[in-house]
Amino acid sequence: MTGPYATAITVVALALAAWAFGLVLANRPLGRPILAGGAVLEALLIGFLIGGIAQLAGSHRHFARAEFVLYLLACVAIPPAAAAWGWGERNRAGTAVLAAAFLIMPVMVIRVQQVWAGVG
Amino acid sequence: MAKTGDRAPARSTSHGFGRLLVAVYGLFALAATARSAVQIATKFQVAPLAYLLSAFAAVVYIVATVSLARGDAASRRVATVAISIELVGVITVGASSELFSKAFPDATVWTGFGSGYGFVPLVLPFVGLWWLRHTR
Repeated sequence: MTGPYATAITVVALALAAWAFGLVLANRPLGRPILAGGAVLEALLIGFLIGGIAQLAGSHRHFARAEFVLYLLACVAIPPAAAAWGWGERNRAGTAVLAAAFLIMPVMVIRVQQVWAGVG
Repeated sequence: MAKTGDRAPARSTSHGFGRLLVAVYGLFALAATARSAVQIATKFQVAPLAYLLSAFAAVVYIVATVSLARGDAASRRVATVAISIELVGVITVGASSELFSKAFPDATVWTGFGSGYGFVPLVLPFVGLWWLRHTR
């Protein structure tokens, strides 16, 4: 849950967020390249979900298990939902929605790690 | 963006900046719903008041999200009511959680004026009401 995989997700998400905000500033609608970047992040997040559930199954510690799984599911659900909602307005507003989704991913990863560690 | 004249029809609340605003409301609807569902299902006895308030906040966020996304005249009124309740809720719950912390053994979305969520819950209703005025 901690370690290089979570760090990779954070780095990719922040890079995509910077790219998407660049597109917002340049007044550009959503296009294929940024969506492809989002698909890479989504693949990483699906791996995070699967790995997280595997680690959960292999752990006998007491922590908020339901919350943990819900956070992982939310991580996987947010980028496609943002892409779909953003796609509905083909101008910078739609791009801004995806940029915001990328930006909150590091926060979501931290929350997943906090719940895993039993912080809250 | 064109300036709205007095007779211009109401602009949709779900376009431009509104698209982002609906996304943020949607995120909080998701967060509050998931949070209250987990709390009520797994440990309701610990802090019933806090968890019921979380559920109430979830409903408010869902109504605000849907009505801002729809953006017709009726939805606009519903959104105004929902966001006003949200504003009163975050301030009341925020103040109560400071003053009567014993009644809130566990946090809600609105505890400490939304400090657990970067104070976004405190800012959001002001932005929402401003946006409803702005697009009128």
